[in-house]
Amino acid sequence: MNRGILLSILICLTGWHTVNGQDETCEYSVSGKIFDLETREPLPFASVQVQGTTKGASTDTTGYFEINKICQDEFDLIISFVGYKRVIHHHDVYHDLPTIYMVRDQVTLESIVVEGEQMPGELKSLALSEISGKALESSRSDNLGDVLSNISGVSTLSTGQNVVKPIIHGLHSNRVLIINNGLRHEFQNWGVEHAPEIDPSLTERIQVVKGAATVRYGPEAMGGVILIDGPALDLHEDLNGRAGVQVSSNGRAIGADIRLQKGYVHTAYLAQASYIRQGDLRAPDYMLTNTGKEERSLSFGFRYHQPEYNLTAYYSNFYQNLGILRASVAGNLDDLENAIESDEPTIIDPFSYDINNPRQEVDHNLLKIKGEWFKDQHVFELQYGFQVNHRQEYDVRRGTLNELPSIDLKLYSHTLDGAWEHPEFRGWNGNAGFQYAYQNNDNQPGTNTVAFIPNYDLHRIGLYLTEAKMFGENRWEWGLRYDLQAMDVRGRAQDNSVYTNQLSFQNASGTIGFSRNISENLNFRTNIGTAWRPPNVFELYVFGRHQSTIEYGIWRYDIDPDGNVLTDVILDEDDREVKSETGVKWISSLSWERNKFRGEVTGYVNYIGNYIFSSPGGTTSTVRGAFPFFLYDQTDAIFTGVDAAGEWRHSQYWNSQLKMSYVYARDVKNKSWFLEIPPLRFDYQMNYKPSIVFLPNSEIGLSVAYVFNQWNAPPVIPISEVQDAQESGNAVYQPGSTFDFTNPPDAYFLVNASFSGGWRKIDYRLDIRNVLNSSYRMYTNRLRYFADEPGINFRISFSYSF
Amino acid sequence: MKSILTANIVILSLAAFVFSSCGDDDAPPIENMEEEITRITAVFTNRDDASDVITAIWFDEDGEGTIDPVVDDVVLSTNTEYHLELFLENTLADPVEDITNEVKEEASEHMFFFGFTDGMFADPAGNGNIDGRNDPLNYLDADDNTLPLGLETVWTTGDATTGDLQIILKHQPDIKSETSTSADGETDVDISFDVTIE
Repeated sequence: MNRGILLSILICLTGWHTVNGQDETCEYSVSGKIFDLETREPLPFASVQVQGTTKGASTDTTGYFEINKICQDEFDLIISFVGYKRVIHHHDVYHDLPTIYMVRDQVTLESIVVEGEQMPGELKSLALSEISGKALESSRSDNLGDVLSNISGVSTLSTGQNVVKPIIHGLHSNRVLIINNGLRHEFQNWGVEHAPEIDPSLTERIQVVKGAATVRYGPEAMGGVILIDGPALDLHEDLNGRAGVQVSSNGRAIGADIRLQKGYVHTAYLAQASYIRQGDLRAPDYMLTNTGKEERSLSFGFRYHQPEYNLTAYYSNFYQNLGILRASVAGNLDDLENAIESDEPTIIDPFSYDINNPRQEVDHNLLKIKGEWFKDQHVFELQYGFQVNHRQEYDVRRGTLNELPSIDLKLYSHTLDGAWEHPEFRGWNGNAGFQYAYQNNDNQPGTNTVAFIPNYDLHRIGLYLTEAKMFGENRWEWGLRYDLQAMDVRGRAQDNSVYTNQLSFQNASGTIGFSRNISENLNFRTNIGTAWRPPNVFELYVFGRHQSTIEYGIWRYDIDPDGNVLTDVILDEDDREVKSETGVKWISSLSWERNKFRGEVTGYVNYIGNYIFSSPGGTTSTVRGAFPFFLYDQTDAIFTGVDAAGEWRHSQYWNSQLKMSYVYARDVKNKSWFLEIPPLRFDYQMNYKPSIVFLPNSEIGLSVAYVFNQWNAPPVIPISEVQDAQESGNAVYQPGSTFDFTNPPDAYFLVNASFSGGWRKIDYRLDIRNVLNSSYRMYTNRLRYFADEPGINFRISFSYSF
Repeated sequence: MKSILTANIVILSLAAFVFSSCGDDDAPPIENMEEEITRITAVFTNRDDASDVITAIWFDEDGEGTIDPVVDDVVLSTNTEYHLELFLENTLADPVEDITNEVKEEASEHMFFFGFTDGMFADPAGNGNIDGRNDPLNYLDADDNTLPLGLETVWTTGDATTGDLQIILKHQPDIKSETSTSADGETDVDISFDVTIE
């Protein structure tokens, strides 16, 4: 039933020729369903023809068609319907049956053919959400984190406006795995202020697996997996592509992107480029000085196809220079207190495109070579990936030191992945595979500061197997995985003495899932899976001050019998055992479709043992005054919550969507709350499609979001109390419990509006963000102490498809 | 199945061999912590008697570690005019790095602010300029824009008393002006000495 799913994911929508040992008997058949892309309603009486034959069929009232007695095992289907763009789909019998989404003539979007249910990871019992097409189009110049936050259950952890990370069900950084173009995105993901270096303008589809998909994707998928794919490399395509420009009023940003594609009989090419320059953003009441950014990206794809195999090569480069709010620099607690008490940022300059310190400069290169073979109903896949991530972070320092990065890291990653999909065996379909990774992390000389994290070499090997079988209406699936990670660490202590260590971690993971179509309109899925994550070098070895806190990694402090914290030590696993984080996530979704309503509710419970976090250990005096210091340790945590989304088609002209997400996160060992957990949020969007003669295909959208105050937040300890504690020696911290310097920001209400339309091959779009120009702060923005979020922004974009 | 596993193992070991051979075993490069100031020396010289020198040291041996700094008391004579010079050093660097000159070279971006127990000195009067930029303070040095720096200052004691002296060094790139205060910019130094005038 799902044989070929792996294939569909890998080379979705494109033809896969096969040579089969069987004789050419006319015993093949094809069936499928045809829908309107925009309304998602079935299209009855659409015509489907097998090219070069007289065979064909029309769809019935449910959009279903079936053609039997086809002599070839691969053929082109021509799908046509009055008023809609004609679709030619290359189909072979080894693929899952196609679902075709057609678009009306006047619309510039392209029709979509989906073969099988494109469930990545082959685990259909996991909740999955997707952004593509129009939704992706509307946020083309946003950063990846913001694009992802359009999915219910996904929110953002940001450091200002340019550094935005996705949070899935309350987890982020190296508890969320990102697969970019089939490769695990390897970057310095331990840092909350390190956003993934992926340009959303090059992507065609983004999917989020909200369950513990560790079994398929490997360690660190504690919260979920984000799958990002570029455009498919289609064969038999004339030169086609897309060119777009966007301008924004806030930040006076200008951006452009272009894509070119061509497909021959056996080869296909793709080239993409994009550029964006943004100046200082503006909050309703003041400039956000030094929030400009510059980004450019480039990618090339190549595919060579033969009936028995398929080869693809892909290269991409993404360069970012990201400004961080100048006023967010705090030298000590007094500076931070000044900033918190000030209504406005402490430094406000006139608008500028200049990007000064503090800033981050990141360059990410990715090269992928992949081969797929198809033999006797087996599918083999081998993929090699090479990534170089060069990250330089510039702080506000004295004099000429400003020209030197404080953090300068190069991370080289080689990966080799192999997968084998076996033919159906007694009703079971499945995959087995291995994933191997080698990483080398190198501190670059010339930072004039002792390396923040050590150098390391890392080897990671994983083996997995997943299987699925239908038992009547019930689908059962299971998977197993084993991982081994070995790391060779070399770092320097504050006095430049060298420390070294060899670490290895291993883990077995498993998953079991169930799905069932309860009725024609109602589907239920449930999955329970384990996930794991070895501690990373940052959590083990971090030492020292960053902004207004000081942190010590798990192996950088010791506590003497009197309870004093000593930091002149470097420990190892014999002194203090560090276990891998291990999680169990149970996730269930119920989705239904009835008349003009579609909806889905997802609930989850994620229990994470040995959860690594930092909590205050006391206050210490430095030359800059008193600082609270934080010690990394392990605890047990629970993350549970609900996401819901519903979509109504009220009439031909009106439709609306409602989304909500809520997460409850608790440190169950210390009985305390975690910082920066996204608060309860509701989103409602209404779209109206007027029939205006001179503005065809226009659509007006209005969306409102209400974000609550986070009531499950750690206690507040004002800065004055922290400082007094140093002088008086009083304990102000609860053991094991973290704290915040201020209350979480108030609830806020945001309104966005849009107008879009298409004329011939040109799409145009006007977006107005924060229509009411409201001043608000986000609890999950780490710069919430310093400044409001940006105010009203008009963004106009044009794109030309050819 | 078995043959595929074998194949996988072969590929794995091959890959492990190839990739490990291109790694290196180096520790991160040696870097001097030029940011850090770990030792501040305050030298009070009697302006009428150059041999009367009082030195007080503030020293935090482990910088950002948890060991608290060791601070000398400042003991001054009554009714005496002192020339105060400040020296900043980074003892974590090897050899010990002098930061005083760096601050001098970047004088237009730096300014010292002083705060003390109200009325502790005869001159300057009051409690210093931390709480008010224009409060009395006797700077001896200035930057290119004739704005005060504060590595060198003058202090006149009066009657016997005790109190404390707080010294703040602010880094104020593009901010330092005639009106910039101790609340502007980033704090490079914020330390206190106990003072006895006897």
